[in-house]
Amino acid sequence: MKLRTSFLLPAWLWLALLFLAPFAIVLAYSFLTRVYVGVAPPWTAESYQRLFDPLYLVILARSFAIALAATALCLVFAFPAALFISRAARFKTLYLQLVMLPFWTSFLVRTYAWIFLLRDTGLVNTVLQALGLIHAPLPLLYNDGAVLLGLVYGYLPFMVLPIYATLERLDPSLVEAAADLGARPLATLFRVVVPLARPGIVAGSILVFIPCLGAYLTPDLLGGGRTVLVGNLVQNQFTTARDWPFGAAVSIALMLIVTLLLIAFLRRESEPLA
Amino acid sequence: MNRRYFILGAAGLTACVRDPRPRLNVYNWSSYIAPETVPAFERECGVRVRYATYESNEEMLAKVVTGNSGWDIVFPTHNRLAPMRANGLIAPLQHGLLPNLNHLDPRFRAPSWDPALSNGVPYMWNGTGIVYNRSLSPPPARWADLWSPALKGRLTMLDDPEDMLGACLKKLSLGFSATAPADLRRAEREAIAQKPLLRAYINAEVRDQLVAGDVLAAQLWSTTAQQAIDSAPQLAFVYPAEGFPFYCDCAVILRESRRVELAHRFLDYLLRPAVSAQIVTATRTATANAAAVALLPDAVRRTETLYPPPEVFARGEWPQTLDPATQRLRDRIWTEIKSA
Repeated sequence: MKLRTSFLLPAWLWLALLFLAPFAIVLAYSFLTRVYVGVAPPWTAESYQRLFDPLYLVILARSFAIALAATALCLVFAFPAALFISRAARFKTLYLQLVMLPFWTSFLVRTYAWIFLLRDTGLVNTVLQALGLIHAPLPLLYNDGAVLLGLVYGYLPFMVLPIYATLERLDPSLVEAAADLGARPLATLFRVVVPLARPGIVAGSILVFIPCLGAYLTPDLLGGGRTVLVGNLVQNQFTTARDWPFGAAVSIALMLIVTLLLIAFLRRESEPLA
Repeated sequence: MNRRYFILGAAGLTACVRDPRPRLNVYNWSSYIAPETVPAFERECGVRVRYATYESNEEMLAKVVTGNSGWDIVFPTHNRLAPMRANGLIAPLQHGLLPNLNHLDPRFRAPSWDPALSNGVPYMWNGTGIVYNRSLSPPPARWADLWSPALKGRLTMLDDPEDMLGACLKKLSLGFSATAPADLRRAEREAIAQKPLLRAYINAEVRDQLVAGDVLAAQLWSTTAQQAIDSAPQLAFVYPAEGFPFYCDCAVILRESRRVELAHRFLDYLLRPAVSAQIVTATRTATANAAAVALLPDAVRRTETLYPPPEVFARGEWPQTLDPATQRLRDRIWTEIKSA
């Protein structure tokens, strides 16, 4: 083996041990039969047949809708922020640190913090009532809006950072050239800056969309368990329902759908612009 | 870290590995023991105890089902004993090694789930009922009261299919452990009718919102409810009139254990009235040990949430183990309710 290829060895080992092996186990589980706890032979595809039940298809569709909405909202909030940071004359490092600051605390703790902010006697409602803006507490917690808020909050940095990275590398003379040729600032933004930031937008959207699709903590804690997303469905099969083969089949199906979508999407992205 | 500390640390580590004392491995629910319970046993018997905690039966079962989990003693809920026994996970109790068994409350000496007490020693028990704010008038007394439109948005139910469907079944005067699909479908319709009134399906985390007054009524486990009541006297608890479930967690010795005798010693130690009373005082739970209850202060013994009087106790029922087909139907119904 050449020295250069051997540099890849640790990465391959990592991938084999911590990705491929668990994946193979989940795949095997999905074709086995459920016992009191765990799985056993005979091999069967029954779990996959159950997936086509409209009940589960609706859950899948709802999960896609929420993940798409969260990604779109992240983009709306992240792009201006990334643009601002990349253009900042001073404190650029400080701003980037601020974007990453939430990672210093566990996601679970931060989600609980949102509960304290949003509940009836929480900070938001208390302040609004003290200011006389509302007379009864607003139902901020335990609905789809709260779930969406939690997801956008949690994954926003994953959108800001890749967009920032592309905007940072953007040649300022291109923007100047657009202005020289008579483009107004908004036209420059949408016809020059946004297209050039596309790789960052694509990377950020993928980084946000995929974890949102599998999220189960946020819908549980901020949604009050009133809706099931596909992440909750999987979690439930491995816990209270004790149906590991079905839980594994849902995971595999989800992975398959996401991978296929991603391949189709990236293939389109890599085509030269017409 | 400098080198001296590294060597010291390594030496300390070796010392641990070489510790000649036998080691007992105990896996229990969180907040289910007093801080001094384990250290006192270690000193008395010259052994080490590795003690860790879990949050659900499923979490524990997923580990012990392998048969080489490394645990000696676990504490499953009573209706998990039969399937664990059937799966060959449980070592039968040897009553000769458990002289303190005679301290058990007579109600737990021949329980329906384990008449000969051959699988597990009843440890702590609790029930599911309604915790509510005293400002509610009239106060809820039945499960059916949780379908009142007056509670809209201020009401929560447990995020647990067994308890949630169970409450709907009891409201319909059906058995908590009903298996007939038609009965379960009727319960499902009750649940879906109630859903618009609910703030959330939520478990122990509802405690803070009850204390803060956001939630006025909640289906909750008696132990958790008592914790909320302890910190907010405006709260009260009721065991619903239609009937309700009791759960008993039992200390079980796993068949994989290679220290069965030491494990029995630990179980017998937990059965000592003074030890059990100490645990109950620290954790505010209800013990199945009658002699321990006798040692508790009057105020604690008369906490009706934890120790309901006989006429209330008689209304309770002990959920049975569900067969796989029922389990699957119940899970599907639960998913349908959540999706509705």
